[in-house]
Amino acid sequence: MRKEEVEIKENERGWQEGMAKNITFIVTKDCQLACKYCYLIGKNEKERMTWTTAKQAIDYILDNENLFKEESVVWDFIGGEPFLEIDLIDKICDYIKIEMFRRNHHWFDSYRFSFSTNGINYDNPKVQKFIEKNIDHLSIGITIDGTKRKHDLNRIWKGNNSEERGSYDDVVRNIPLWLSQFPDASTKVTISSADIPYISESVMHLYSLGIKEVNINVVFEDVWREGDDILFEDQLIALADEIIEKEYYKNYACSFFSDSIGRPLDPDVDNQNWCGAGKMLAIDSHGNFYPCTRFAAYSLRNKRPIIIGNIEEGINQNLLRPFITLDRITQSPQKCLNCEVASGCAWCQGENYDAADTDTIYQRSTAICRMHKARVRANNYYWNKLYRKLESEGMKQ
Amino acid sequence: MKKEVGCVSMEERDEIQTLFERRNGLNELAKILTPDNDELYERLVKDMGETSSKFQNWWDRMYEKYQWESTDDGNWEIDFNDGKIYLVTAK
Amino acid sequence: MLKYLIVQLDDSAPSFCHYTLKDKDQRLIPLDLLEKALIWAMKENLNVQFIYPESELPTEYKKIIDFVDHADIASVCCEDNSLVRKAEVLLLSSLSIPEKLELRKGCAYVWRTTISDFLINYKVMIEILPHIDRINVVFTDVINFKDSMKAAYSAALDRLAQAIVSEYKHQHQVQLNLLTDRMLLNEMNNCNAGDESITLCPDGKFYVCPAFYSDEENAVGDLNSGPFIMNEELLKLSYAPICRICDAWQCRRCVWMNRELTHEVNTPGHEQCLMAHIERNASARLARRLRNECDIKLGKDFTETECLDPFERLNN
Repeated sequence: MRKEEVEIKENERGWQEGMAKNITFIVTKDCQLACKYCYLIGKNEKERMTWTTAKQAIDYILDNENLFKEESVVWDFIGGEPFLEIDLIDKICDYIKIEMFRRNHHWFDSYRFSFSTNGINYDNPKVQKFIEKNIDHLSIGITIDGTKRKHDLNRIWKGNNSEERGSYDDVVRNIPLWLSQFPDASTKVTISSADIPYISESVMHLYSLGIKEVNINVVFEDVWREGDDILFEDQLIALADEIIEKEYYKNYACSFFSDSIGRPLDPDVDNQNWCGAGKMLAIDSHGNFYPCTRFAAYSLRNKRPIIIGNIEEGINQNLLRPFITLDRITQSPQKCLNCEVASGCAWCQGENYDAADTDTIYQRSTAICRMHKARVRANNYYWNKLYRKLESEGMKQ
Repeated sequence: MKKEVGCVSMEERDEIQTLFERRNGLNELAKILTPDNDELYERLVKDMGETSSKFQNWWDRMYEKYQWESTDDGNWEIDFNDGKIYLVTAK
Repeated sequence: MLKYLIVQLDDSAPSFCHYTLKDKDQRLIPLDLLEKALIWAMKENLNVQFIYPESELPTEYKKIIDFVDHADIASVCCEDNSLVRKAEVLLLSSLSIPEKLELRKGCAYVWRTTISDFLINYKVMIEILPHIDRINVVFTDVINFKDSMKAAYSAALDRLAQAIVSEYKHQHQVQLNLLTDRMLLNEMNNCNAGDESITLCPDGKFYVCPAFYSDEENAVGDLNSGPFIMNEELLKLSYAPICRICDAWQCRRCVWMNRELTHEVNTPGHEQCLMAHIERNASARLARRLRNECDIKLGKDFTETECLDPFERLNN
């Protein structure tokens, strides 16, 4: 008798991915934490969005339906820590719902409110009331980096105390509540150089908390040290062994492993840009528009912000043109075009801009090159081992 | 228990998905709109009624077209990713 | 590959292109630098073009300039009459030609104008065309071009095309960049600043073109180091996603204007594309008339296009 082929859980695609406009409100630049890898170098307690600014931004966006033709919309709220501004967010979301309905806007039939939170305030009664009110339209990601020692290595409380205080305990207590409300929720894990030794144990720990989908990536900044790629590969091999041995692949996913990465890319067919900057819109507390939050001043180390308009004057469409027409080939150096394992190698347009030799978004940073190659080697190992196991068990032809 | 009993075309899937989203949107709007909002409250109530009937009408039409398996204690569910229809029962 | 060295001889040398000269006092390039520049140009096998100030150059400068084969770009208002009589490119600040100036053939005239001024005064060009071989119209405010001006611009070009047909009928193949360049070309023929040409300014530094001279931060090397442009590939057509699919071949594809409008040297603004396509279409109509009325066929056949901005083909 032939057994059925086993299902391997894959990372879910984002809601309406490729069809939704992503509109991000930077509601505050404040956060309770001071994560060591945070790219937001200009966080502060002063720049909080006002209701007047938020309302004017919403009115501009909904008034100009012809400029925003995407089928769906994700209204995204980030910070700092967005839930520090729950009163404002609640008011914004109510206004958006009412106005989309009042104007018969096509987005009323296809919208989400999305949040990336550190999870500390998740059980706050105001946050919970907001969740209950909007439950069918919410996507909330809590960032937890893995085991306590891995999480607390980077995600520490803000403050001037000489002793660092990790935030793991303050976040993990809210995970059961979060998963009870969003059983399919995923978490986002960021890896920088110091985190590498803890990758395998951290992913396993997140699975043990009941998080079935772990989206994980290495930071795009040039922080990598000699030998990090080897350590990284070793960690991923250990993780692969664990996932396969304990058969986590059936119900759990980790974005490090994907059978579509590590192949050469065709210059004609695979020429699209990786990053969605420019197809998104971010708004800060001053009412300025950005192609993505990564182009706001508080995200940039070396460069001036790229402001593409504001709530008074609208979007300068000319400033969007470089983002819309940006493709892989034009921005990539020759070594990337010749790369035999190019597929799945990501980039961040904001980091490219920040690291570029000139004020351009057309110079791809290759700081993660060796890390990607290490990932590809581990990924090949994972799929070869998994498929061999499934074949030997008669679960795969 | 969940059992696959058929599927619908992608156009049909899009139609019910839009109605599903609209129904959810109207339900959440109903939590914040009060009858003293003369302009919108009446419109909302009317829309909820219309959307609900279009929703039921879609399932009736699809059942007539595809004749899916059914039981007295079960409901059909659709997976918006692929348009597959499942019969979900309590057991 | 570099082919041209443009030497701006003085800070006050007038603009011959889209940029507007910043308010700068007179300052000649130091003589020793000029000499060094010309030796460098000869070693690099570059053609040299000089942009002159309106005041007459000292004799020692003229001597050094004569040291190399070169082309001269000067204003019709230049004090040096002999230069005005021989310059290859002459700048007109308006279409009111100074009385003492005798228009001549074998020279290219440049009319720098705003869009509104052009739409009011373009007919004056009709009177000039019989007396010259070539005139380049250069707009100084492309950003001000609006979709609502399309019809008026197109009509103005058609009226000028009619005058050109008339000249052709008199065996005078006059050139007006906006109309005749496209029909004479078989591929993109852009300015190519930074790719085929480099500019040396009076501060002794290289710039992609004189327009970039407004800000010292834009310098791309000096005579000691030679020019070095970071991300220079972005100045090439093949690295310009919108332009490389475009067939408005006469467009200047001004990288300075690109940077002003879109912040990227390889990306044109909508206004630049729109104007270039209106010109392209008017050129197609002119080519058809020349074929039908004068039995003259120039370059490859091309027809009008409805898409006036190639960006639209990429924005989907």
